Amino acid sequence: MRLYESVLIARQDISTSQVEALVDEFSAIITNGGGSIKKKEYWGLRSLAYRIKKNRKGHYVMLNIESDNATLAEYERIMGLNEDILRFMNIRIEEVSEEPSIMMQAKSERSERGSRYNNADNAGAEKTSEEA
Amino acid sequence: MTQLEITRSAVRRPFGRRRKSCPFSGPNAPKIDYKDTKLLGRFTSERGKIVPSRISAVSAKKQRELSTAIKRARFLALMPYVDM
Repeated sequence: MRLYESVLIARQDISTSQVEALVDEFSAIITNGGGSIKKKEYWGLRSLAYRIKKNRKGHYVMLNIESDNATLAEYERIMGLNEDILRFMNIRIEEVSEEPSIMMQAKSERSERGSRYNNADNAGAEKTSEEA
Repeated sequence: MTQLEITRSAVRRPFGRRRKSCPFSGPNAPKIDYKDTKLLGRFTSERGKIVPSRISAVSAKKQRELSTAIKRARFLALMPYVDM
């Protein structure tokens, strides 16, 4: 049994409840294979940095999974067949972090995001001029 | 374009500024994570290229970590491969 972090992007046209259903379906594969879901995060409908299968947006879901590799392979196979899933990535991790990931923190700060963004841009500009 | 200017001005100065230390080493250094696009964005050019470590002063070990993180973020469309 190993720990994995799985991120999947679902099509923009499906509803959040359909995303839930999809995630439940995939989680069932893991739990039936003797694994478990350690953490589940829904990052929301985010805009993609580039178009994937003609979609500009996608529902992002992150799962932290404990399973063996045969179960994970099956999980990947089923996801690959599903047409509502634009993309997924499973990576091995050493431990599951207790606190919510940076994406969830960013989401809760969305109200003050405009100003923060400008600050970050300015900081970047300052950095390059300093190096010059 | 900006990179060219950087190297040229560096050549002109006979005694360069003291080399900056790696932004990822030290006690309260940020953790490199592919999900932290705001942090990773600081190490890419405006066009989305990864900034070489000789400019960003990131250590070789951390630069390897950083490049995998950026590539993962790109794959998940969190960051662009090319940004015009």
